[in-house]
Amino acid sequence: MPSQDEATRVPVDDFVRDELYPGYKQPFGGQPFVAGPVRPFSRADNARYWLRDSLHFSEGMVPASIATLDDAQTWGAQLGAEIVGVPPTRGSVNRLAGTHVYIGTIDVDTEWQVQARAARFGQYVTPILRDFDSYWAMRAGELQAAYDHLDNLDLSAMDPATVWTSLKDAYAFHRRAWFIHFEVMYVLTANYLAFYALAEEIGLAGSAVSGFLAGQQTFYSKTDEELWRLAGRARELEVTGPLLHASPDSMRAQISALPHGAGWLDEFDAFLEVYGQRTEETCRIDTPSWIEDPSAPLYAIGAFLSKPTGFDFFAARQQAIAVRDEQIEAARRSVNGADLARFNEALASNQAANFAWWNEEHNYLIDRRAAIPVRRATLELGARLAADGRIERPEDMFFLFKEELYGLMEGGLTAAGATWKDLAAMIPDRRAYFEDWKRRGPELPTMLGTIPDTVPDPIMIEVFGLSGRFLEALRGGADRGGIAEIRGFPAAKGVVEGVARVITTVADIHLVQPGDVLVCGGTTTEWTPVFGIIAACVCDTGGSLTHAAIVSREYGIPCVVGTALATQTIKTGDRVRVDGRAGTVQILTSGQ
Amino acid sequence: MILDLGDIRAADAPRVGPKMARLGELAAAGWRIPDGYAVTADALADWLPAPARAELDGLLGALIPAQAAADPGALAGVSARARELVEGQPLPAALAEAVAAAHERLERRARAAVADAAAGDARAGAGGDAALRVAVRSSAVSEDGAGASFAGQYETYLGVSGIADVLDHIRKCWASGYSAHALEYRRRLGRGGAGARPHALDLAVGVLELVDVRSAGVAFTLDPVTGDRNTLVVEANWGYGESVVSGQVSPDHWTVDRATGDIVTRRTGDKRVWSVFSPAAGRVVLEPAAADRAARACLTDDEVRHLARQATRIEAAEGGAPQDVEWAIARGLPFPDSVFILQHRPETTWTAGPQDAGDAEPAAGFDPVRYALRNVFRVPGA
Repeated sequence: MPSQDEATRVPVDDFVRDELYPGYKQPFGGQPFVAGPVRPFSRADNARYWLRDSLHFSEGMVPASIATLDDAQTWGAQLGAEIVGVPPTRGSVNRLAGTHVYIGTIDVDTEWQVQARAARFGQYVTPILRDFDSYWAMRAGELQAAYDHLDNLDLSAMDPATVWTSLKDAYAFHRRAWFIHFEVMYVLTANYLAFYALAEEIGLAGSAVSGFLAGQQTFYSKTDEELWRLAGRARELEVTGPLLHASPDSMRAQISALPHGAGWLDEFDAFLEVYGQRTEETCRIDTPSWIEDPSAPLYAIGAFLSKPTGFDFFAARQQAIAVRDEQIEAARRSVNGADLARFNEALASNQAANFAWWNEEHNYLIDRRAAIPVRRATLELGARLAADGRIERPEDMFFLFKEELYGLMEGGLTAAGATWKDLAAMIPDRRAYFEDWKRRGPELPTMLGTIPDTVPDPIMIEVFGLSGRFLEALRGGADRGGIAEIRGFPAAKGVVEGVARVITTVADIHLVQPGDVLVCGGTTTEWTPVFGIIAACVCDTGGSLTHAAIVSREYGIPCVVGTALATQTIKTGDRVRVDGRAGTVQILTSGQ
Repeated sequence: MILDLGDIRAADAPRVGPKMARLGELAAAGWRIPDGYAVTADALADWLPAPARAELDGLLGALIPAQAAADPGALAGVSARARELVEGQPLPAALAEAVAAAHERLERRARAAVADAAAGDARAGAGGDAALRVAVRSSAVSEDGAGASFAGQYETYLGVSGIADVLDHIRKCWASGYSAHALEYRRRLGRGGAGARPHALDLAVGVLELVDVRSAGVAFTLDPVTGDRNTLVVEANWGYGESVVSGQVSPDHWTVDRATGDIVTRRTGDKRVWSVFSPAAGRVVLEPAAADRAARACLTDDEVRHLARQATRIEAAEGGAPQDVEWAIARGLPFPDSVFILQHRPETTWTAGPQDAGDAEPAAGFDPVRYALRNVFRVPGA
């Protein structure tokens, strides 16, 4: 390639314009999206429904995380829905209430578009489902290759310009990872929902289908097994004291002071090496990975240690598998002939391309990991900028928007004309704004805008739990004084009475005590360890496919999801009765 | 051209027929079944010498597709000539040698098994110097043919021993494909002509050790009368199961509760005949049974419960499709080692299902795209 001096240049100067056509200037920010970017609420949004996504984002988003949010639930979902050709939905779109994320869907509203999408949907989905193993291996391989590159970059040895280049690579990868996420998700959800529909058609309960698909080993179930094993090693090496009683800050020091403490910590660090590339929430640049801050896995080990000694993690899993197989056999016995053949085909198709499995498995490659390279490069660049006096400390980078950072790094000015100095001055206010909204998070309504009778998007129904009953509960939710029974989706069977513990963010998970009935907005992978100690789980959101439903079945505890109102109706200390088969939660006595 | 049973898997069904393929799968899964081998359909496809084929085509081609086939006399005449012709043809030397080698391997394995188990005369003919007794079974390969096989159009010979006898009966199996009712069956299916090759049959032959049987019969994983899947049924007689399968006898009958595994009802049949190996005939034959045996139950309760449980395990391995399972209990072996599975197949009376009958919707399989578009996304017209 010739150097710039030698290159022949044909100047564009004659063609430079402010307007695309006389009288038309392109609006800023409308281009990279299929349907619409992350925005604050506007009055027009009153006409649609917006669901608070505390499932994925419980504490709010710093400015830098808004770009990664928009790669994920906005751009990724919209592109995925578009490419797969999901007939009724063009994916999801996000609004922010303060710093908190609400999700809405974009319905396909013309008959022609529905038909056109339906026509190409099968062309995209069929070959993937025919050999999902190979397909997922290809996608997972691509993601893993990117991590092998990005995780091994020696950022500290790079000059600042190369760190910036690495950050841009990390951003590009992040966006790609989220397209893969939604492409695969839509394909697998279709397979799952098709099985659900078939089950209903042949006289089985569609809600039983996710139970048929339980029990396949995932990266996260392996993580749990490793944590369980480390708990056992902690007993053998006599380091349980600090794990059960020390505060997270001093735990490591206290363990290492014990006779076998260093040996146990070596094993723990080897565990982190394999399983530690994960953060506590999706898309959040401001949350550390387990490798940076291992208090979450240490807490999980402590939780396992506080389980009654009779509890056997592996036996519980085996039992869950036996229950699944029994449910499958019972279903088979209730259908005959061609129906049975179709049932077996649908089961085989879903065992081979299993949404319930993937819904857990993909997190370690995408949701909990894709933002870590962005975080690493952001903090490294922040360290250089702090050394230059541009910002005070590396973490200040979390309070810059990606567009601002691009403007400053590439041309010294943001699009709005602000300099480093202008932005540095704004950071304290932005930080205070984030902290203020973080505090207000638990008070935010579950739904904003117009609560519909039904939603057409089956993914919102099964993953987020927007069933007709859920919506009805929300509409009637204003007066909660007399509520003694809450109804939801029966996610995992069993009946339990216990004391409620209302938890609104995963950061408070250490407050949960063995035997508590966990009441929360919704759970994600990060909540999994707590399922080893709780007696039952109750969630505001969720359907047959949500994390809490899947994990409760594996741990053999009752679970009711999609209650809409549990966290607002039940108070910590209330005595409650959870019936996971009926999908009800009764408040027996108030804790006050 | 020959597959030992231990090497047969489900994927071999197009070569050995679904019956033998299922047995291969059972053997691979560790079930106790008689050892044996299969002569594949492709090995047999062109075994007839060209002049015989031409002659057969002439005979059958004129008859089978014709409307005139309603004349049973003509059909019987053609059948008799065809069978005689086929049974008179020598097997090609290469095929005969391969069968002889496979048969020798089978005899060697049987001797070793007897020595291992020190089980004496558990398997008839395996002990001492006597030649191994085997069953020579037709195993139809194509779907229509498999239906024909189940419908009893092809024959099975029990108690054959010695390689010469085995080769002879492989030809007899083939010849049974031209029996009068087999020809009539083909004609009714409209498959009579088989294109330009009316003589062609899609047939493999299985050669399996003949277990020295005390009692035998069938286990159903649903009640074949009511279709109730909570009920398992075991039917049995003394001796070989042929008396039960062919309906020559009113067998002993048990019903077993699927959930508890308990015997719910028992009825001792009127078992006036039984299938037994006749040294004089060198075959398994149907003989009158002694009165005291006829009225005595031929299985213990433990055996009934065990058979019911085994049948549900086979059903589970078959994706939950109701099965009927043919089994036999060998003499001289301790229970439950004495229980052999002989074959199993989907139960067809109820699985064809009254709920499907007359339904406008064809019994299509599960197509996730079709279900997603029609039932989930509710795309109009999908």
